[in-house]
Order: sequence, then C-alpha cells, then structure tokens
Amino acid sequence: MTMRPDDQQMTEAAPDGVGRRQFLKVLGVTGAGAATLSGCSTDRIAKLVPYMVQSEQQVPGVPTTYASTCAECSTGCGLHVTTREARAIKLEGNPAHPVNAGSLCSRGQAGLQALYHPDRIGAPMARNAAGGFDEITWDDAIARLAAQLGTANGRVAAINGYGPSTFSTLLDDMVGALGGRSVRWEAFGREAERTANFRTWGRYELPSHDFAAADYLVSFGADFLETWGATVQQQRGFAEAHGYGNGTMAKHVYVGPRMNLTAANADEWLDVPAGTEIWVALCLARAAAMHHGSPLAAQLAAYTPEAAAERTGIPAERLAHVAEEFAAASAPLAVAGGIAAQHRGAIDLCRATNLANIAAGSIGTTVRFGDGPAAGNDYGTVQELFQSMDRGEVAVILVHEANPLYALPKSGNFAATFAKVGFKVSTANVMDETAAACDLILPNLHALERWDDRAPRPGVLGLMQPVMEPVKPGMHTGDVLLAAARAVGGPLAGFTAQSFEAHLRSAWTAEASRRGAGDAEGFWRDALQRGGVYEPAAPAPAPALSAGAADLAPGDTSFDGDGEFLFLPYPTSQYHDGRGSNKPWLLENPDPVTKITWQSWVELHPETAKRVDVREGEIVEVTSPHGTVRAQVYVYPGIRPDTVGMPLGLGHTAYGRYAADRGVNALDLLGAADGQGFLPYVATRVSLTKTRDYRQVAKTEGTPRQLGRGIIEAMPLAHAAAGMTPKESMTAAGHPPHEVNTERELEAIDGWYEAQKERWNLGNYGADETPKWGMAVDLSRCTGCSACVTACYAENNIATVGEEQVFKGREMSWMRIERYWEGGEDGEPLEARFAPVMCQHCDNAPCEPVCPVYASYHTPDGLNGQVYNRCVGTRYCSNNCPFKVRYYNWLKYNESAWPEPLNLQLNPEVTVRARGVMEKCTFCVQRIRAAQHTARLEDRPLRDGDVVTACQQACPSKAIAFGNVKDPSAEVVRWKRDPRGYTMLEATNVMPAVTYLAKVRAVDPVAHGEAPAAGEAH
Amino acid sequence: MLKRSLLGLVGMVAVAAALATGISSSDAQQPSTGPAPLSAADSAGLKGPRQPIFFRHDIHAGELQMQCQYCHYSVAVSSEPGIPSMQTCMGCHALVAGRDPANQAEIQKLKDAWAAGTPVEWVRIHNVARHVHFPHMRHIKALGDNACATCHGNVARMPQVYQVNNVNNMGFCINCHLERNVTRDCSACHF
Amino acid sequence: MAVIAHDPSRPTQTHAEVTRDVLKTITDAPTRGYYVLVFGMAFLVLVLLGTVVAELKEGIGLAGYAPPIMWSVYITTFVFWVGIGHAGTLISAILFLFRSPWRTAVYRATEAMTVFAVMTAALFPILHIGREWLFYWLLPYPNQRYLWPNFKSPLMWDVFAISTYLTVSSTFLMVGLVPDLAAVRDNVSGWKKKLYTALSLGWTGADSQWRHYTRAYLYLAALATPLVLSVHSVVSWDFASSIVPGWHGTIFAPYFVAGAIYSGIGMVLTLMIPLRKVLKVEHMITDYHFDNLSKLTLLTGSILFYAYGMEYFVAWYSGSTFEQTTFWRRAFGPNWWAGWTMIICNAFVSQLLWFRKIRTNLTSLFVISIFINLGMWFERYVIVVSSLANDYLPYAWGQLNPTWADWCLLAGSFGWFGLWFTMFYKNFPIVAIQEIKEMIPMPRRKSAEGAH
Repeated sequence: MTMRPDDQQMTEAAPDGVGRRQFLKVLGVTGAGAATLSGCSTDRIAKLVPYMVQSEQQVPGVPTTYASTCAECSTGCGLHVTTREARAIKLEGNPAHPVNAGSLCSRGQAGLQALYHPDRIGAPMARNAAGGFDEITWDDAIARLAAQLGTANGRVAAINGYGPSTFSTLLDDMVGALGGRSVRWEAFGREAERTANFRTWGRYELPSHDFAAADYLVSFGADFLETWGATVQQQRGFAEAHGYGNGTMAKHVYVGPRMNLTAANADEWLDVPAGTEIWVALCLARAAAMHHGSPLAAQLAAYTPEAAAERTGIPAERLAHVAEEFAAASAPLAVAGGIAAQHRGAIDLCRATNLANIAAGSIGTTVRFGDGPAAGNDYGTVQELFQSMDRGEVAVILVHEANPLYALPKSGNFAATFAKVGFKVSTANVMDETAAACDLILPNLHALERWDDRAPRPGVLGLMQPVMEPVKPGMHTGDVLLAAARAVGGPLAGFTAQSFEAHLRSAWTAEASRRGAGDAEGFWRDALQRGGVYEPAAPAPAPALSAGAADLAPGDTSFDGDGEFLFLPYPTSQYHDGRGSNKPWLLENPDPVTKITWQSWVELHPETAKRVDVREGEIVEVTSPHGTVRAQVYVYPGIRPDTVGMPLGLGHTAYGRYAADRGVNALDLLGAADGQGFLPYVATRVSLTKTRDYRQVAKTEGTPRQLGRGIIEAMPLAHAAAGMTPKESMTAAGHPPHEVNTERELEAIDGWYEAQKERWNLGNYGADETPKWGMAVDLSRCTGCSACVTACYAENNIATVGEEQVFKGREMSWMRIERYWEGGEDGEPLEARFAPVMCQHCDNAPCEPVCPVYASYHTPDGLNGQVYNRCVGTRYCSNNCPFKVRYYNWLKYNESAWPEPLNLQLNPEVTVRARGVMEKCTFCVQRIRAAQHTARLEDRPLRDGDVVTACQQACPSKAIAFGNVKDPSAEVVRWKRDPRGYTMLEATNVMPAVTYLAKVRAVDPVAHGEAPAAGEAH
Repeated sequence: MLKRSLLGLVGMVAVAAALATGISSSDAQQPSTGPAPLSAADSAGLKGPRQPIFFRHDIHAGELQMQCQYCHYSVAVSSEPGIPSMQTCMGCHALVAGRDPANQAEIQKLKDAWAAGTPVEWVRIHNVARHVHFPHMRHIKALGDNACATCHGNVARMPQVYQVNNVNNMGFCINCHLERNVTRDCSACHF
Repeated sequence: MAVIAHDPSRPTQTHAEVTRDVLKTITDAPTRGYYVLVFGMAFLVLVLLGTVVAELKEGIGLAGYAPPIMWSVYITTFVFWVGIGHAGTLISAILFLFRSPWRTAVYRATEAMTVFAVMTAALFPILHIGREWLFYWLLPYPNQRYLWPNFKSPLMWDVFAISTYLTVSSTFLMVGLVPDLAAVRDNVSGWKKKLYTALSLGWTGADSQWRHYTRAYLYLAALATPLVLSVHSVVSWDFASSIVPGWHGTIFAPYFVAGAIYSGIGMVLTLMIPLRKVLKVEHMITDYHFDNLSKLTLLTGSILFYAYGMEYFVAWYSGSTFEQTTFWRRAFGPNWWAGWTMIICNAFVSQLLWFRKIRTNLTSLFVISIFINLGMWFERYVIVVSSLANDYLPYAWGQLNPTWADWCLLAGSFGWFGLWFTMFYKNFPIVAIQEIKEMIPMPRRKSAEGAH
C-alpha cells in the first residue's frame, strides 16, 4: 500500500528513508502500515512492512476520523481529526459541537503544526551547572519533581493556562493539598468585562452573546471576529445576522480607533479616540432608555449625542442617527471589552455597554447569562502570585500551558522575579521563554496524543483522545503529577490513580452519575464518539441590577507618558496572544486586514506618515515611558491619525525556529502596574523617531485599490432588497458600468460557448451525466477571516516559503483573501471589501491553450486541470491567467517547507509538487475523486453535498457553496441564480466556474451624505 | 524514448500473455501436478527479487486456490490492496507446518518473526509512482474479483513474484482504458 | 579612377588584391589583442555555465522573478537575440534577391552574426523553463504515453520557428562560404588545409559547379527571405496571442519585425565598425556601406517610432481600462525609466540619421549603434516585464528586482555569441571573396595605364 509519509518529491526520487523510520517510530506499537519511498523508478526497491496485528479501525488508504477537542485557545471548539495510517493529517471542526458547528479557525487548524513541530522537546530536561539543559530520563525527572514538592512544605505554586478541566482540577487539588496556590490564567482574560458585570449585576461572570439573533450590532472595541470570545461561533452568528438574506440583514457599527477585521466588516465605523468609546455607549443607552421608556432614562439624560460628539469628534447627527437605529432595533446587541478598548476606562465602558443592552432590552434575548464562557483568574491574581515570588514565598512553581514571561510586559520585571523561585518547572513541549527560564522541563503530550477533557462553558464538556502514538516521547503532565504524588506521599497520598487516563475515566463516571446517565460506560463511549457531551445549559434568569449600576462618572481616560500618539497594540487573528507565532501556516497566512506575513509592523495613518515624513518600510523607533521597539512602518488608512498601532504576538526570544527573534514584542511598550485587575493594553502614549533603516514589508498585496475594475462588487441593502444585479445597482447609483461586449460579441461568445459544450460531449468527454463542478461565494457572508486559506494549505500540501520569498511575491496560497479599500479619501468613509480568490476554473480558460504540453487542460467535469508531472514550467499559463491564481515552485520548497517531522502532516492524497512546476487550486479534485469512488462502490450517483471542498468545510460563516452546476437542485445552483451573482473580470470573457454574490452593505444616508466622514472627523 | 515505447509494446504483449495463461489455468479445475517443490536456495534462480521468506504464491493462490483478497484484504474497498498482517499468516501457520523440509524451514522463519514480534519486511515489487493515484477498488469493482492478473500477471503460477507489467508505464494503463473506452482524463489519476 | 569613384559599390582593387587582403585576415598570426578577446568571451561563457548549473541545482528561482512577473530577463534576452539575427538574413538574402550591390561587402559578416545570434537565442527557451531537463517534451515525438505537444500553444510555434531559422540560415552561410573556403584551402597548409578541404566540398570552380552553386544560392536566398518576416512574427505571437494587457496587440508582428531588423543592423554596426579596422579591410567596407546601413536603420527606426505611437493610441482608443493602465504605467509607473530608455534610444536616436554627416561619421555611428542595442533590449524588457507587472488584478501586481542570476546569464549570452563570432572572423573569410571579385570591373587599358 502506498503510504507516503515523506512525500517530498513528485517526479524525482525520494530523498532518503529517514521519513519511513520516523514514520514507523510514530506508529510504534499500533503497528505500521507499509511505507513505500521509491519514486518513479521501480528499480529502487522499497520495503513493505506489514502490521503485526491489523487494527479493526484502520483500513489502509482509507482515512479514519476521531472526534476530539481543540486546545489552541480557551474556546475549546470540537474537532474532527482525520488520520491516515494512524497519523493525523488534518483538523476540521466537529459538526456536532455547539460552539463551532463543523468549522474551525486558522489557529485551530494549525494545531497540527504544533503536533508535528520540528522543535518539539523530545525528552525531559534539567538545568545543569553550566546553565544549559541536559536530557534526563522520565524516572529521574519525576524523582526530581517529587523531591522538590516533598521539601517545599507548602511553598508551591502553579500557573495554569489550560482552563476548566479534569486536569486543572487535579492540579489545583494537588497544589492545594500541598498548601500552595494554583493560578489559572490566560492572556486576554476579559477581566474588565467581568468586573463591570459584577458592578452592574453583582455577577463576576461573562454572558453569552447571540449574534445570530441580533438585527443591530454595536461593538466597542470588541474584535469578535478575531480574538474576543468564541470567534468561530460569533462569526457564524454574525454571518447569519449580517449576511444578506430575503431582503434584509443586520447592521453592524464598530466604535474604536482602529479598523480591525471586525470593524472592516462593519457597515459603519465610528473612529473615536481610544478612551472615549464610553460616551457613544452612554449615548446609545440613553436613546434606548428613552425609546423603551426605561427607568434608566433619567440617570442617562445627560449623555446626549452632542456631549458624545464633543468628546469623540464624531458629528452629533451621526451619533444621534446610530443611537436612534440602535434604540429602534428589535434585537439590538452591544458588546465591549476587546483589547482595542482595554484602557483604564474599560470597566466603565463595559458597564455603559451593559446599560445600553439593559435599556434596549437585550438581556435574556441577545445577551444571556448561564452559558457564558468560563474564565480563569484575573491579571491581578497573577500579579499577586509574582509579588509573593518576589517575597520569596514560592519555592517550587509549575507552569502549565502558559508563557507568562512572554505574555506579560517586560516593564514588570516578571523574569527577574520568576528567577527568584528556587525550583521552576515547565511542561511546555516547545522551548518557550518561560521554559527557557525553568530548571526542569517535562514536555507534555500534544492534545492529539493524550487523554484529556475541558469544559469551556456550561453545557459543553469536550473530550480528547489520543489519535496517534506520540510524535516525540513526551509524557502526559497528568501522569507526571500522579507519579510524583505517589513518590511524595504524605499530603498527596490521596491521589492514588494509577494513570491520568484512569483518573479521567473515574471523573467521567462521576460526571455520568451526576447527569443521571445510568450506563457510565455507554456515556463514555458516546462522548468518545461525539467528542464530548453537549447539552444546552439551563438559561439563567436575567440578573437583577445591583444598586448604583447606572451611576457612572466618565472622565478622561489617563495614559502613561506624554508621547505624541496613543499606542494601540492589538492581537491578530493568527497569533492571538503569541502562541500562534511558531506555526508556519499562521505566519505565512497574511493578517486579514493588512495582508502582512512573517513580520511585526508599526501602523500609521497616511496623514501621520506624511507629517512624520516616513514611507512604508522605513523603520521607526517607537518609544513609550516603559520601553522602545523598532519596526517598519505600514501606512494604513484604517487607523486614527493620532494613534499608532502594532500587532501583538511576535518578538519571541525563544519558542522554536519559526518564532524566535522574529519581529518585535509590542508588550515591551506597556506598563505592568495596574490596580483594576486587568492589564491595560491601551494605556500609553508613544513618540516616533525616524531611523535611516529600511526593511521591506512582507505583504502579499500589490495594490489596495480596485481601480474601478469591479472585482469585488457591493451594493446597498435597498438595491439588494429590490432584487438588483450589481450592474443595475451601479447604474442606479449613477455609475453605469462600462459595457465592453457589444451585442455582436455577445452572440459570438454564446455561439462559442455552445460549441465548447458540444466538444465536452465528444468521445471520452462524456455525456450529460458527467458533472460540471462549480462554486459560489457569498461576499455578504465572507468576513475575510482566512480560515479557508489555512484549510487549503492543510488539505493540499501547500508549501510555506518564508519571509524572503514573500518579498518577491512567491507565496503559494492557492486560495487568498483579497482586500480592497474603497473611499477613505476626500470625505468618503473608508470601506474594506474582502473576497476569497482561488482558481476560477474558467470554461474559457486562457491558461489552457498556451501550455505547450497540455499540463494545463480542461477536464470532462469542467475542472481546469493541472497535471504536475507533465508540467515543464514555461509559466506561460500564469502570465495568461487574469486572476493570477497559479503558483510556481521557484525553488525546492518541497524540501524546505516540511522539516522533519513536519512532513508527517502531508496529505497522502495530494502530490507534493517538485520545483519547477506550476500548481494551483484544483477544487480539491482529490475529494471529488474520493466521493466518486465511494459513489461507484455503492452503485449510486453522486449526490449534492457529497463533495465538500476544504475551504467550504472550514468556512465559519458558510460563505462558500460547491457542487455540480448541471444538477438543478444543487445548492450551488440556487446560489448562482441569485441576482447578486457576478463573475470577476467579466470583460475578459473567461467564463469562470466561480460566481460571487455581491456584498451587501446596510449603509444609511447620513454616512454617505454631507456629514463629514469617518476618515476626517477630527 | 524509443526504449519507452518498446517497453510499452512489451507491456501490451505481456498483458495478452498473462490473460491467456490466466484463462487456461482457471479452466483446469485442479492443477494435475502441484507446484514444483523448491527450496529457498532455488529462489535465487527464479525471476523477481528474493524475499526474506520464500513465500510461494503458486502454492497459496495456485495449488490451494486461495482468493487474493483473503490476504490482500482491502483491495476491493480502498485504493490500497493491503498487505496481510503477521497475524493473518499465523492464522493458518500456527497449525500448517508445511509439507516438505524446504517449506517447513520457511514457515519456521515466519514463526520466529512472530515470536520476536518483528514484522517481515517484504521486498516491494509493484510500485506506482507517487504522482499517480491508482484506486485498486475501482478496478476490482469494474473488472471483478479476479482482475488482479490483468496487471500483476498470473501470480498463481509464480513460485516467486516478479513484475510482469511495468505499472509505471502510462502506456500500459492507457491501452486498457482505450480498449474498454473508459476515462482518459489526466486528472483521474494525476492530482 | 574618376569613373570608378562614381560607383562606390565597386571595389577599387584587382582580383589578386582582394584574395590577398581577405586571406590575410585568416593567415596572419592572431595578435595578443585577439587572444585577450577570445579568453574574455570564454570567461563569460564559463559564467553562463556556472549560472546554469546553479539553477539546475536549486531552481530557476535564483533569478529575480517576482510573480506576477513570470517571464523577465531571460525571455527579454531571448527575443533580443532572435531579433539580432534578422538584419543578417535581410542583408544576405533579401538584398541579394533585390540585386542590391552594396550588400556584397558586408553580408558574410552579418550572415555569420545571424547564425550565432540564433544559436544564442535558442539557449534561452530551454534555460528559462523550470525543468530544463524535460525540454524535449516540447518536441513532437511518438511515445508510449500517447501524448503530443499542444500545437495551439504559441510556444510550440516558437520551437518550430527557431529551429527552422537556425537550419536555414546556417545552411545558407555554409553554402555561401564554399567558393571562398576553396580559395582559402589553396592558400593554407597543415591541419587548416584539411579543414578547409572538407568544408569547401571539393570545389574546383568548374563551370558546372558555378552553375549549380549560383542556383542553390538563389534558392536558399529565396528560402531564407520569408523567414525574415515569419520568425519574428511568430516570436511576437508568443505575446500577441495572450490576453495580457500590453501584449495582445494586432500590431505586434510588423512591430517586432521592424524592431528585429533595427536591432540587427545596430549589432551589425557595432561589430563591423571596429572589425574593418582590425582586419584592415577599410577599403572594401567603406563609408558607402555604412551610409546604406544607416539609411536602413533610419527606416526601421522610424517604423518603430510609429509603432510606439500607435501602441499608445490603440491603448487609449481601445477604451479598455486594463490597456490604458498598463500603458500609463509603462510611461509613468515604477518602470518609467525602462520605458523612456526604449523610446529615446529607438524612436529618437534613430532620427539623428537623417543627417548625412552623422551617417558617414563612424564614431557617431558606433555610439548610436550602442544606443540601439541598449534600446532594443529595453524594448523587450518593457514589453515583457512592465506588461506583466500590472495586469488585471491589482491585488496581484508586483515589482521585479533582477538578481545576479539574471545578469550572469545575460552577460554569458554575449560571451557565447562573441566567442563564436571572434573565432569565425579569424578563421573564415569575413568578406565574400568571390562576390567582391564579381563586382570588379573588367580591367581597362586606360585605367591600367593610369595605375602605372
């Protein structure tokens, strides 16, 4: 059987056998499917290694899927892990899971690269006298840990970023039993919201927000499409509400100083200065209270649009209009508390937002208590822990799934404090900053290799199971702890479980009885199959307002330093708090908004750039009272001129080959001191100093303007509701599209097209039962989140090429999200438009006739085929492709992209392309063929939905439809019939198989009228 | 190139031959004389690479008329034919010890390997290039359970298996697909 | 003398002198300067080889390709060299058919230039593809896969155009050489004699041989003539038949042919002006010849001028925003410098040749010829690169920064061409002996007396 673990070469022979040995090691006891390594020529003999015992689950060549739970962030989405011959090759969302319902974000999918990360630590390590690390045995490691725990007499602590789970409870209990303190902490802990909720309702917890039900959305700095909350679920809901359907859609207004992905998807962006959002919130609250005659009205009377206008610089009539719309909406929803609003006024802002929701009657409808995400301790608790370290009250500390020495600002001297602890233990399986500062490293198993569970929120209990043998001989931290407990005895004598698996099982048995499930065994088997237990949590009644909930005294938010600019560090959807930045997929998948890869950057508004006299790529020095960083400028129209933005997540000093020494850490500019229980990210002013240095910005975008080429069409809601086509809409708006094709030409085209269709029906180009594959993309649902891009990389073995090659524009992303700016000039509000662009599989494909060897040709089922092994690499096809969706292997990317054991993630169903070969989107032809095989074996025709492309599968907003366009009942056909449908670059008459449904914007006359626009309202 | 096209030609001839012999063998209800007694020592003289164990397809598939799919269990459901696990071998050979010393010696090797828990590393004979996706199940589905010989030759007559057709010779595939007028679409196999 | 002076196309010396002077170029021992030249060229060829090896090892990506610019310096250089060839065929074949007397003195050199230029050009289609070792897949040959090349692809037409051109023009050169080589054969000794004996195909100068020879030469000329138009037309269709804005123009074929001849003559001037001095054949290749070459340059240069103008007009008139953007960016985009280099060097510089003074002043001609070569290389650079840099999808626009690999291959191509040419002119009659002789007027008593 052809198992291709190290499929590095396409036509040339395989490099060596290391891959196979590695592979066998991976499969270990399970027994290996046979691995072949030989290339084209059969004379190079490879071995067939049979299983000792054939496992029932595994049929060679047929993927096996396991349900599990994602561990990449605290949301805990459900996973479907696709394995081939017992190695995980793809992560997809679990359709049964209430949170992500089948889709998965980029970070979740990239978990695979954490599993196979080339820099995973292979054995426990102990610091030696020289200050370096020595590999030691697990017995030794456990003995050392036990010895320390035994003698620490109570001076034990743990920082645990894993969140609510059987493991965390076990850890807490153990540390507790030893008389120490265990702190659960994750960056972006949403502390401000919880405090605000406490002051509003007396409940220190987070509600859940029902985006799908909302018909009017206002976000105060909450980037709910990127890092704030359960992004996949929220995006799904957002697409439901904000996506156009039967003549209506929700309106989304974003309030904040920078246009992030969430703001880019808003219909209106109020770019208020950081710290003044509260005025808008109160203005909304007031309007809602008055509209609904809420008792709050009296207390809020003072917060008029005028007052808000004065503070925010947004014209009063515009604010009034938004306020009225919000008040009048039937299911409004206001959210606040993202990093963008994480300033010293954040708590009041969240309180004000609560008031707005209360006044608008959203509590219990779009804002629900009872099933909100569970959260850990707050930043204040972590600070206290470090203070006690400083006082020498901690002898042993265990850091699990957390990297405080990176995620906390340097100005807090946490590293120095940490160093004071006598014995520091980390369970990181990649050498991160914290691990590097520890005395003992006990590499934990990856989530796909271990037994584990997590309870991210009430009603969701996710289970994880080992889907394969460990890639590196790690050990489950739970087992380590239990083993240590046995060795320590004494206070830990109570922890008798022989293994963590046993402990987990007993915990689940308990859970089963708690839920009154008679058959614990069945309960467990069920959970294993479905990836956990999901039952809707009982909705808690709307909490009562606590006294003084409404008395707010908003003042000026204070900022450290007296620099010229407000400093706005923000987390990106790829790197999150920095844990994503060691995965090539996430580094090369451009930031959705700026399209920059592999780098840090400093965002300046064009005006600011002109004033400071810097151009894109010029390196500037950003100085705050707390520190200084240097990074290249990116001129960005989507940020206030008085604000400087920087992405978080890069600037690691360790954390593996991909992350170490890449970019700068914006946290270096922040202060750590804080009395409010959270880390105020937006709390410093900075000044800019020019340096004479320059570094090219590694962005994948050429020119950010459409130049009136109608690539991404959009139309106002009114037009869409009137059933207009994009062209009609443009005409109605007074810009009739330039008609390129005369009647005559059109006739000729149709004639040609008929002839083409006949050609398909000749001989092998079989008949009418041959499907013709087509795709439709609804741009009113697409948010540009780029999950599809990562999915494409994962499914199709696309090589990551690295910063240097991106400079030359040589990235290989078969599927890319194009982002164009509209407006933003002379009074026009800035508008962002996103569209996924993949091979359009044109019926009249320009790439096909020019290929001298038929490597590019049209398949009977309407695909634009690309035969890699026939391609000689003249690259004419790419020159002639109007969409520029063909990607070329300039160098041996197939050797550089997957250092061992990363190559084990390769999908055996897709050929790895050698250098000198053109490649491109194939509409996941391997999935099409697989579906056809299954259908044939079952003697049935293909059904609509049998073929799901990787991008379609991953898309959280379900913006992609794929299927057979000859099947009138197919969903894709229904989509294509939508009047909003159009094809890109129609003038070229290439007849794409991909139809785009124009974006719809709930724009209102005020924003487009005389009123000064977002861009210049100050 | 000439060489390649010659190979192609040889390929076609070989198929024909294989088919012919295949038919004749199935006609003969039970082979009048069992396969010649051979020992591992003789395997050097036979066509095809020597295997760690001198496994006799001519005995198993020929004399004993075992179905190919008894061992190559996933050929009808997967693109991969499946290599019998050691357990499968032992299923019989826990009892069957072999009829003559030569066979017994070979079977002993198997038992030792099983005892030692080390899989036997067979030498691969048919090995399609990695840029070709060959779905075995589709061919079994279309040509029936005994279609194996079409490409692999009459293995039931082979004391030691060798490559009858160069399965990396695209002409070999195309010829069949032309004769049966089935797809010649490149993307049926190349993706 | 006076009589002769009236017809500058007629050589001034006797048969014996012609043979002597031309043979001297071969029989004289090579100077140190010559060796320096040869080794210089040889070094450049090594550079070429080195680069090719590196790219075979690592991949074509060593060159500065920056998608969407998938073709750049290599294709530019390919078209440049193909173009060079054309002047040679024009002069040796077409002017021969037109019985234009002035070609006689220069055609041998230009003919040689043609062959070597095409030999150089032929390297690039192979070197620029990603899997060089599979270039033979572009040839139609029977194979067990039942696969044929795609005859719809302009790149296939290219393969045929170039190979035909190479065959015909090299045959033409060798045939034309036969009588002269015989003359050389009779005047040298040792291994050289063997070589020339072989190459002169047993030429004795018998009437029958002359009869066949002249026929053969005529037919070959007739055969070569259409190639002057066809080959570069086909090359132009590499671009014209695509849908890339700035490429698909109906004007391309004539535009390219004119450009080709223009650049070819440029190269002729660059080569002949120093060569006639080095080989001391000033009295055979005279101002008169250069004057005529210049006029040809002026003509083709003016056609180019028109073509450039027309390109911009069509771009504007088409009403296609894609075309318009492309041409706007050609002049004012990031590659403006290339755009203007091409227009100035080709359209404007050629206009200087209206002045007889400049036409007959070899120094100025030489300088101009350098500008022409530069300009024509940049013309192709502009067509290839700045068209690809900004086509339909603005998001995908890119910028090219050529690397060492680009420049080494460019320089190497000049070395490759130069090595062949230098070796040729030292070992073969660079001026056509027998044709010159044909033009010498029958000796007349008067003039003979006058000579005494």
